[in-house]
Amino acid sequence: MVDRKEIAHLGDLVKVEIDEPEKYIHQVDEILKYFEGLDSVEFQSYKSVQKEISYEDLREDTCEEFLVDGKPLIESLKRDQNNFVRAPKMI
Amino acid sequence: MKIEISATEYLSLVRSGSISVEEFIAKTLDHVHSIEPRLRAYITLDADNALDKARSIDKKMRTGEKVGSLLGIPVSIKDNICTAGIRTTCASRMLENFVAPYDATVVSRLRQEDAIIIGKVNLDEFAMGSTTEFSCFGPSRNPWNTDYVPGGSSGGSGVSVSAYECIISLGSDTGGSVRSPASFCSVVGLKPTYGLVSRYGLISYSNSIEQIGPLGRKVEDVALALNVIAGHDLRDGTTSSGAKIDYVADIGDGIEGKKIGIIKQMMGEGVDGEVISATESAIARFQELGAECVPISLDAVEHSVAAYYTIASAEASSNLARYDNLRYGYDFASEGYEFKAYVSKARSRFGPEVTRRMLLGAFVLSAGYYGKYYLKAQKVREMIKSQIENAFNSVDFLVTPTMPILPFRIGEKIEDPLTLYLLDINTITANLAGIPAISVPMAFSSSNLPIGIQILANSFEEKDLLKAAYALEQTTNLPGVKI
Amino acid sequence: MTKIGLEIHCQLTKLRSKLFCNCRANYRGLPPNSNICPVCAGLPGSLPVLNKRAVEKAAMIALALGCEIPERVSFFRKNYFYPDLPKNFQITQYNAYGPTSIGSEGNVEIEGKVIRMRRIQLEEDPGRLVYEGSSEKTQLTLVDYNRAGTPLVELVTEPDFENPRQVRIFLNVLADLVENLGVSDPYLDGAMRVDGNVSVEGGNRVEIKNVGSFKDIEKALNFEITRQQSLVDRKIPVIAETRHWDEARKITVSARSKEEEQDYRYLPESDIPVIIVSREKIENLRKQMPESLAEKKDRYIKKLGIPAQVAEVLSSDKFYSDLFDKTHTESNAREVANLITTDLMGVADTREKKSELKIDNKAISDLADAIVGNKLTRNSGKIALLELVKTGKSFSEVISTLDLSNVSDIATLEKIIGEVFKEEEKAVIEANTNPDAVNYIVGRVMRKTKGKADPSVTLEIIKKMISIK
Repeated sequence: MVDRKEIAHLGDLVKVEIDEPEKYIHQVDEILKYFEGLDSVEFQSYKSVQKEISYEDLREDTCEEFLVDGKPLIESLKRDQNNFVRAPKMI
Repeated sequence: MKIEISATEYLSLVRSGSISVEEFIAKTLDHVHSIEPRLRAYITLDADNALDKARSIDKKMRTGEKVGSLLGIPVSIKDNICTAGIRTTCASRMLENFVAPYDATVVSRLRQEDAIIIGKVNLDEFAMGSTTEFSCFGPSRNPWNTDYVPGGSSGGSGVSVSAYECIISLGSDTGGSVRSPASFCSVVGLKPTYGLVSRYGLISYSNSIEQIGPLGRKVEDVALALNVIAGHDLRDGTTSSGAKIDYVADIGDGIEGKKIGIIKQMMGEGVDGEVISATESAIARFQELGAECVPISLDAVEHSVAAYYTIASAEASSNLARYDNLRYGYDFASEGYEFKAYVSKARSRFGPEVTRRMLLGAFVLSAGYYGKYYLKAQKVREMIKSQIENAFNSVDFLVTPTMPILPFRIGEKIEDPLTLYLLDINTITANLAGIPAISVPMAFSSSNLPIGIQILANSFEEKDLLKAAYALEQTTNLPGVKI
Repeated sequence: MTKIGLEIHCQLTKLRSKLFCNCRANYRGLPPNSNICPVCAGLPGSLPVLNKRAVEKAAMIALALGCEIPERVSFFRKNYFYPDLPKNFQITQYNAYGPTSIGSEGNVEIEGKVIRMRRIQLEEDPGRLVYEGSSEKTQLTLVDYNRAGTPLVELVTEPDFENPRQVRIFLNVLADLVENLGVSDPYLDGAMRVDGNVSVEGGNRVEIKNVGSFKDIEKALNFEITRQQSLVDRKIPVIAETRHWDEARKITVSARSKEEEQDYRYLPESDIPVIIVSREKIENLRKQMPESLAEKKDRYIKKLGIPAQVAEVLSSDKFYSDLFDKTHTESNAREVANLITTDLMGVADTREKKSELKIDNKAISDLADAIVGNKLTRNSGKIALLELVKTGKSFSEVISTLDLSNVSDIATLEKIIGEVFKEEEKAVIEANTNPDAVNYIVGRVMRKTKGKADPSVTLEIIKKMISIK
């Protein structure tokens, strides 16, 4: 049963401040209950359905500068006067 | 001059000099301006640049310079596909003013062929939804009845194509997001094989299953668009490196002698009666065209919705983690905040459906639940894939209704996410298995709402799939939207 | 018993481009955020495209450490939020459904001790953080993503080390190995980073992080072992925790309070297809690889007849084994090995000291030849060697300046022996019956010639002179 605490924990994992957990409790709980049907699926082995490629077809190790209209990418991003990206302080 | 023409008609009119690109684009834009207040397909219009581009193509034609094969055809692009110079919002308050510094590969291929991007169209936030109601810009409206949803998440694509606001649109299809609006708006929508079309520049929601796909009013238009956007891309390691195929050539070959499987699980309980009869009439048409139709069972479908939403939510929770508002995003000063508090606060701008899926995704991946949900979902996916492969050993195509029900009223189901999820049951099979699927307009309900038919084919069999869709299309003579 | 395990991060500095994009792998010395693109800056819509050479280099490390390379190699996402992670997940490898990381279950022998490798994985380095502002209020983190996405190999060992000394030797061997393979320059700042975990008998496992350099890991481990042992001795439980190495104070400190239990929610990175590595490819790689440590040691023992212990010491030091390979001939190999392992290694044992050595390869070989040919005693040989590497002079120059050439002409020796006989009459008398007395006389002769007398010639002359007498 999903409760306020669980919603807060999940919110913390995905880093979203949840103002009104009540809005989510019922729906998330209902959906997870529906997902529980998966538990009846037999699981012995698992074969990935991911696409496979040969080692030979990987990207060659070459360099290429990325420019936006002739300017470095950082000029299209949030930055300070020294071209650093600013982040809040870390505890 | 009519703007209700198909892509092929447009190309021959421009080529013959009967119309200029500029007049067509101008007229299309006028129409967009007049109809948009009612439909709200577009998030951003790029009218001035579109007209400039139209003039430059006309000039090239006059002076005999080389012109790209799309000759200025007006296209709309779902707003989760990056376009340099035009903002890409994902219909999210997180990216309201985000301008990507590069074009998605599909966009640069369209531009290369001289298509004209007239604007970016609406979607459910980050493509999560099936009605286009979860857009921070508000819902788009179904041109057949503006009180009704246009389907989703590529609702803006479906509406703009259906209501002549462009000729071709690119949407993205994660669980039916191209086919659902195609069905609800009575246009054609294709979800290609995973790996046929580059995802570079498509803002990821569930990256292991989604593909960019074209929508058009005619099957041939969709084939034409696929010709341009399909193919290997060095920037997307999951694209396949097959030889270039012309999807338009021989599209009228017909389907005589082909074998079609009708998926039993998608023709029974919970399916609207009018949808069933439309599907039955499609089956009859296929038979008249010389195909053999047989019922087929895919029992893994029982778990497909749960598996799909488990995988999609899990991937969404990871794909959307990058929106921390540090490198791009909206103005929100970080002074006084500690990192995690800042990020959590900044990310509270995500809308309810995106937040819900991130929470679900975190849950199904978290320690202790991984084996119960995520691994089982992957198993179901494997089972669906192998059952589909099996089915294609005995049939050439699979047929189902695209949507189990008719379009419904805006607001009717928005508070009931699980009900909305269950509406994807017919479309998600193709995404989980990675195979191509197309929705073709089939009929109208007694209430004059569109009904689409879905045809599925084996991986990379788009050419045959388009032939089948084209053959079915030739048997219908459906009206377009009255404007 | 003390158990130590290591987690080593090694940058693949010899690549041109980053792991998943075409930005430069060499980010050092560039202005902030000047080496970034949509992929490594985590922009929406960008996709990682794996660098073939990175896979190849990582596979070479795995092979060199005796690891298995799986047929299917794949990538995973490790999800956590941190300002140096542009996507807020790191693309790495993880053995969820069987081994899919580039290497697993290898082992390396260090001085007879087998160290098992648990896993080798290829992953992306995060960006670099610069902290600015001293007061709590103004504090800010500045991010430079130039390093983000550069290729990194993480090596995880089993807790098989018994003491910090073994760790040091292992790390030296590893540094030499990655250098030798041409995959990394381990001495570039930050190119090789080590975390450790330690437990002593009767205590829990403690992780040590934040160790800046190779030198400090030994200090940090030593400190940690002493700390844990003293807790155990006093019957105080050792808590399972993560501790940070405080470089300034040379101690480990508990990582602050509740560093929450991380839930990384690993999931497959499906933007990167599963990579099929054919067995032929692996065999090809193996053929391209330079000689392994074990192969080198084997060659020294079997082909050159060097004693096993000397071969072990020599082969595990790349600098000296390279020197050996450049200087020895078939006939003087044993002597060159001796000179290096007994005389030179003790003098120049650090990277700095090694770099100061002025070595003329021919001089070393000539010196060994002289010793083998009895033109120089071992004792003089050592003196000459030290002079050689100090000055960089040729062998003949050194011999003439030091006056070390062997005294083996009979007339000179007979004269010196005659003098000794006069001084040591008692010993001469005993010499007929007591072999020790003969040795004593030889010793006296050696002293008189400052070690330059050829011992075997001297002995013969002594025996001749005594029997004549």
